[in-house]
Amino acid sequence: MNERDLDFQLIQRIQNGEQQAFTLLVRKYQNRVANILTRYVRSSGDIADVTQEVFIKVHKSLPSFRGDSAFYTWLYRITVNTAKNYLTSQSRRPPASDIDAMEADSYDGSDALKSADSPESILRSEEMKRVIMDAIDKLPTELKAAITLRELEGMSYEEIAKIEDCPIGTVRSRIFRARDSIDKQLAPLLEE
Amino acid sequence: MTEINEKLSSLIDNENVESKSLDALILDKEQQNVFSRYHLIGDVIRNETALNIDVSELVMAEIMQQPESAIVTPIKAVAVRENSDNNVISFIKRFGQYAIAASVAGVVVMTSFITSQPTIENNGIEVLNTIPFGSVSPVSLQANKSQSKQALQERHERLEALLKDHQLQLQLQP
Repeated sequence: MNERDLDFQLIQRIQNGEQQAFTLLVRKYQNRVANILTRYVRSSGDIADVTQEVFIKVHKSLPSFRGDSAFYTWLYRITVNTAKNYLTSQSRRPPASDIDAMEADSYDGSDALKSADSPESILRSEEMKRVIMDAIDKLPTELKAAITLRELEGMSYEEIAKIEDCPIGTVRSRIFRARDSIDKQLAPLLEE
Repeated sequence: MTEINEKLSSLIDNENVESKSLDALILDKEQQNVFSRYHLIGDVIRNETALNIDVSELVMAEIMQQPESAIVTPIKAVAVRENSDNNVISFIKRFGQYAIAASVAGVVVMTSFITSQPTIENNGIEVLNTIPFGSVSPVSLQANKSQSKQALQERHERLEALLKDHQLQLQLQP
C-alpha cells in the first residue's frame, strides 16, 4: 500500500457527495499546511485564517482533482498560491524563493513564528514538542523502535516486521501502543 | 475503545483502510480527535510542524453554508477507435463533397456570366465589362444575345434544382 490510499478513499467519498469525509482531510493536513504558511504569514492568528481559506479552496477545486499527482503535492501548490495572494492583499512581497513540497515538510515554522508571534503561543508550541519527545524517550525499546521506523523512516508494517523479526500483527500492536502512550501525555495539554 | 483506536492507528498508516473503519471515523467526533492527535504526533516526530491548530469545524461550517456543492465525479475519457476502412470511406466522402461543391460553384460562375450580358431589359448596359487580351472573344460575349426571358428562367430553374440536389446529398450523408 502507498500513502495515497486513505487520501484517495476520502477524496472518492467527497466526490460522491459525502461532504463529512472532508473533515478528515482537514484534520490530517491542517498542521502541515499551517507549517508551510509560517514562511509567508507571521501571526498565528492569520495563519489559522489562511489555513481555513486554503481548505475552502481545496474543497472547491476537488472536482477537478484527478489524482495525477499525490494529494499533498496538489494541496501544497494551493497553499503556496493562497499564501502569495494573502501577501499581495497585504501589499507585501512574497519570499524571494519558494520551497518545494519535500522541503516544506522539514521547514520548521516555529522559528518563523518566533519573530512576530506572541510568547504564549511560542511557549505552547515548544511545550507540545517537549511533551511528545519526552513521551517517546520513556517508551520501551521495542515500541520506540516501531514508532520511529514508521514515522521517521516511513517503513511499512511488513518492512518493520522483517527488521524487528516479528509478525506484522505485533508491529501493528506496538505502533498503536506507542501512539496511545504518547497521546495520554499529549491530550491533557491540548485540552487546556 | 482500545481495539477501535488500534484500527485507527493502522488506518493512519494505510495498512488497514477498511470502508467500515472509515464510516465509523467520519461519524464519531471523539475518534476524529484521536485521529488528529495521532497525526500531530507523527508530524512532530518528523519535525514537520510545531503548530497545533484546528480549523476543521470552521471549514466544514463554511462548506455547508455554500448553496450547492458542485461535486462532480471525474469523467472517464472514452477512446474512439477508427479503423483503416473508416478512414478510406471518410476520405471518399470528403472528396465527393469537394467535387459536388466545385461543380456547383462552376455552374454559379457560368450562370452569373451569362445572366449579366446586355439584354433587352437592361438596354444594352453591360453589367460585367470584361475584355480579355488577344483576339479570342470571352465566352460571355459569344452567348446569343437574342436569348429569351424564358431561356433564362429555365436556366435559373436548372440551377436551383442542382443546388437542391446538392443540399439533399449533404443531408443524406451520415
